[in-house]
Parts: sequence; structure tokens; C-alpha cells
Amino acid sequence: MNLVLLGLSYRTAPIEVREKFHIPEAELGRGVRLLSRHPGILEGIILSTCNRVEFFAQTQDESDLGNCLRDFVVEYYQKEFSSIDSYFYCHKQVESIRHMFRVASSLDSMILGEPQILGQVKKAFQVAQDAGAVNGLLRDVMNQALAVARKVRRETAIGNLAVSISSAAVELALKIFGDLRNRTILIIGAGKMSELAAKSLLRSGASNILVSNRTYERAVEIAHLFHGTPIHFEHLLDTIPRADIIISSTGAQHFTIEKSQMEHLITARKNRPIFLVDIAVPRDIEPRVNELDNVFLYDIDDLEHVVEVNRHQREQEAQWAERIVQREVEQIIRRLNSREVTPTIVALGDHLNHIRAEEMTRAKGSLAGLSHEQKEAVEALTQGIIKKILHGPISELKGAVGKSDRNDLVHLVKKLFGLAP
Amino acid sequence: MSTILVWAALGFYGLAIASSLPSLIRRRPRLTPTTLSAVSIGLLAHLAALILAATSQNRLPIVDVGSATSLLAFLVGLAFLVSYMKYRIMTLGIFILPLIFILTLGSLLQGEVNFESPQFRTRWLIVHTSSLFLGYAALFMHFAASLMYLIQEKEIKSKKPRAFYYRLPSLEILDDLAFKTLLLGLPFLTLGIISGFLWATLTWNGLWGLDPKIVASVITWAVYMIIFSARLTGRLRGRRAAILALIGYAALIFTFLGISYASSIHGYFPTQEGILNY
Repeated sequence: MNLVLLGLSYRTAPIEVREKFHIPEAELGRGVRLLSRHPGILEGIILSTCNRVEFFAQTQDESDLGNCLRDFVVEYYQKEFSSIDSYFYCHKQVESIRHMFRVASSLDSMILGEPQILGQVKKAFQVAQDAGAVNGLLRDVMNQALAVARKVRRETAIGNLAVSISSAAVELALKIFGDLRNRTILIIGAGKMSELAAKSLLRSGASNILVSNRTYERAVEIAHLFHGTPIHFEHLLDTIPRADIIISSTGAQHFTIEKSQMEHLITARKNRPIFLVDIAVPRDIEPRVNELDNVFLYDIDDLEHVVEVNRHQREQEAQWAERIVQREVEQIIRRLNSREVTPTIVALGDHLNHIRAEEMTRAKGSLAGLSHEQKEAVEALTQGIIKKILHGPISELKGAVGKSDRNDLVHLVKKLFGLAP
Repeated sequence: MSTILVWAALGFYGLAIASSLPSLIRRRPRLTPTTLSAVSIGLLAHLAALILAATSQNRLPIVDVGSATSLLAFLVGLAFLVSYMKYRIMTLGIFILPLIFILTLGSLLQGEVNFESPQFRTRWLIVHTSSLFLGYAALFMHFAASLMYLIQEKEIKSKKPRAFYYRLPSLEILDDLAFKTLLLGLPFLTLGIISGFLWATLTWNGLWGLDPKIVASVITWAVYMIIFSARLTGRLRGRRAAILALIGYAALIFTFLGISYASSIHGYFPTQEGILNY
């Protein structure tokens, strides 16, 4: 196992540097093909996103780790490496596997737990496979990286806690309404924020949009944008009972909705819950509205607070994810290491059994006079001898897994028993 | 044999609780297959025990506190499993699995009471007791859902998400669960009370007077009727309905256990003389 990873990311390189190293999707196939054919490199994969460029490869020689990959990067970008050295990090062996697992699981992402990276890793792996650039060890490592990432998504909440204002609004709406199908959203006023929130709610399944604005023409405009219905501002209060979610952001200096009004409105709604999002400054909805039963009011600060708490929660979830990654790294290392001695163990067993079979055939004539039971005893006897001989070397080989002198031992065993090198 | 099976069921309930603990700390709570199968096997053993006890004694196992709680534990467990299948609310398990465990353990510690009374063999009494028990189980789920609703409502209102915010389902789901379990529990409760009246009237020719347990159960029934009708008309919903549900359940528990010792007819551990001499 000679794995090495050379890369740069938002952690080590500013955007001006990253964009110079970015490899567009159309060129990725060619790049990865060149990488896998580079002298000293057996197989390779390139991951290039706006936040990182990573080269992950298996090299021929253990002593040469890093160097040939470095050569490739210099050659590929036609750049003098000393000038860019400080932007790159280099992970070897176990650490390269751990790094790839963490990247795929979104533990190394700018926004912890963001979901795109898994798709990007999948895509990079696909391109490398199509180009015939991965065929052995690296394929197993990458398959495992994707499996680990899926496991992290499944077993932790790292990816499903809202960390933006609009997604926090959606999260709260879901905590109140369960799902948003057939829910009606009323947008009062206009603005980037309210449009963003409305878009997120629509994406989560909300179906009806009502838009109200002091200037009716503006309401028509925004309603058109969301395939919604414009509402005259004078009819606003009559419309509210129809809405499950209200997003308010008018430029008004006074409250648009007061507590006493809301009291009537919630009765008109037969006490079905209503979610009010007030993103206006100064606020549109009287804060005391939140004291009413079945009315849930969040202003911009409240949403910010939810985001902050969620961000903190994501960090806690990340600790669980790190534990999963750690376990998986240990597991794959054990598997990969044992793979280095397993072929020798199999070859040794085959070799001895072959000798036994040959000797048995040669002795066939002289054994012909034996009874059935005696023949069976000879079979068992010879097999027993082989087992006894194999026991020592096999347990030594298994014991050498993961140790630095394992290759010497493999060579020695091969030499002693005359196995093919 | 029946007792051994109940102990086995208890063991499986315990296993279910233990296996669900790790997932409680997680923000993505989900019942593991181990927990689900432990509950299911426990319930099967429990069912077998109940059937065995019923056939060997040739009566429904509800005439003493021990077997009554045992049956209740089984029914609550069954209701939990069914509602988990539908709503996938892991958090329900936090409330219910320990309760099932305690009820089952309680039933085992009560020991067995053996007595015979021809009055416990009439059809009306079977309808009376079994429908009340089904009602109790359904209304317990109603109670649990309402309690969770109150907690989640407080979390959202407070605007400071804490542990429960992440683990409890949405208000809508809890409200739906509460309403459906009420819809299931109320008819059983009604049937149980009416059949009780009928049985008492037939047995004692209407001379049963105002037994405390009967009064209490009528009050309980009235509370649930208020919740039901207020919910239908939309006058009472959400937090207040949930609070009323807690009151209703407190009345139910009071009726089920507390009053039993004050009542001459409904006492558990009935002595042979007590029943026959009435």
C-alpha cells in the first residue's frame, strides 16, 4: 500500500490561488488519465471543486511517496513548484485515507456538513473510473470513502440542521406543520430576504403563495414570480386566516399586525396553528402576538439565534462523525494490510498441497495394496504434516500485518519455499 | 408457566430500553432493529402468557391488580408499536418503554390471586372490563402525545431550541396522534361505562347506588368528551387541549387505581365474601 494525497483547499489557499489550480469538469478526464500514466504512479483520482483541488494516487514505490505526485502537478500546471509549495498539503498512507474519508463526509467543508461535496467526490470517482485511472487499491478506498460519507449522513444530524436564516424558517415551519404540502404562504411587503424564505418554503413543498404589498403592482410582480396570487393591501387582514405561514417585511414604521387583531384572526382560523416570520426592521408584527396560543412568531434575531444554536449542534455532530471516520479508517487499514500477506499465505498453501498431490500420484503403485481404511489414513497423515508445516509461517505472516518489516518477511517466506516472487 | 413467560417478556422490554439508550443521545433518534425486535418478542411472550392465564383459569385476566396491570402493560406496548410503525416517533419510546417495563414488573410483584365468582362470568362484565382496558391503553397514548406536544410547543415558543426541539416530532404529527388516539379511546371508554351500568343493573336490579368509582369514571368521561367536542368545533386546540388531556389522564389514573380502595364493588383483591355478600 503506497497511498499519497497532495491537495490545496480553502484552508491553505485563497480564492485567487484556488481558481488557478481549478480543473474544469471537461478537462478532468484527460487530467486523471495523465495522472495515472505518470511515471511512478499506478492509479490516481483528481477532485476539483471551488473549495479544493486534490490529487490522490497510489505510487509504485514506498520511498518515492509524494515526489512523483509533486512532479506531476508541476508538469500538469507548467509551474515552478517552489513558488506554490506553501499552498499544498501532503498526506501519506493512513493519513491520506483519513483525509479523503473526512472530505467526502463533509467534515473538512467550509460549511460543516454541506451536502454537495458527496456528489462532487462521487463525480470525481466516476470520471476516474471512466478514464480507467483507478483499478486496484484506490478503487476500494474511494468506494469506502463514499460508504463512510453515507454512513455519516445516516447516523448523524450533521447535514440536517438549518444553518441559514431561510432554512431555519423552513425548519421551524416543519416543526410546526410536519410537512408543508398544501400549506399557504402569505408574503407581506417585498425584499430579498422574504423572497429567499418563500423560495425555500416552496422547495420544501408549500403550494399556495399569496402576495400583498402597499403598491398593488409590486404585489402582482412578485406573485408572478412565484405563480402566486396578488392581494390588495386593504384586504390583508381578511386574507390572514387563510395563511399558514406569513412572511412579513414591509417598510412600515408601525405594526401591520397587532395582538388584538391576531386574537380575532386565530379564532377565525379555528385555532389552527399559524407561523409568523417577521424579517422587517422596524418590526411589522407586535411581539406580544407570540403570547397567543397556536401563534408562533419569529423575528430576524430569533432566527439568527436558531441558526447559531444549530451551528453549534453541527459541531457536536461532527465529533460523532469523526468517531465514525476513525473507526472506518482503522477497519480499512486492517483489511488493506492483511491483503499484503494474504496472497503469500494462499500461495504457500497451494504450493505444499501441490507437492503432496504429486507425491501421492507417484506413490500410487506402491500404495495399491492398501485397504480402503489404510488409504484414508495415508491421506489424513499427509494432510496433517502439511498443516503442521504451514502453521508456523502462516501465524508469523499474520502477526506481521501492519508492521514495518512485513515485506522482508514476505520475501523471506517466498525465498525459503521457492514461491514465485 | 404464564409467570415465566411474563418474566421473559419483562427481560425483552428491559433489553429494548437498554438498546434504545445510545440512540437517545443522538439528534437523529430512530429505533434500532434490535429495539424493535426486542419489543415485538416481549409482546409476543406477554400475549402468550395472557392467553395461557386466561385459558387455564377460564376467565379474562383482569380481576386482580396483578393481572390487570399486566394486561394494561401489554396493550400499551401494542399501541406503542402500532403508532411507531405509523409515525416513527422514537421519542415516544422514552416515555412508553419504561412505563411498560414498570407495569409489567409491578404485575409480577403483585402475585396471583385466585378466586371464583359467578358474577365475573357474565358477558356484560367481559365487555365492561375489556373495553375499558382498550380505552385506557389508547388514552395513555393520547396522554403521551399531549405531553410531548406541550414540551415541543414550549420549545418553539421559547425560541431557544434545546434538546427536545431536535428529538420530538412536529406539532402537527403530535396533534394528529393525540386526536386519533382520543378517537380510538373515547368509544371504548364510553362502551366500558355503559356496559358497566347494564351489568350492575342486571346483577343488582339497579340497587348499586353511587359508587365512588362510577362517579369518578363519569367525570373522567366528561373531561374527555369536552376535549373531543372542543377539538371538533375548533374552539380548543393546541396547548390548552393538551393541558386538558393531562387532566383527563390524571382523572383516569385516579379512577383506575385510587378509587379502587374506596369502592366496595370495584376493589381489586376482592374477597369472595365481599363480592357475594354485596
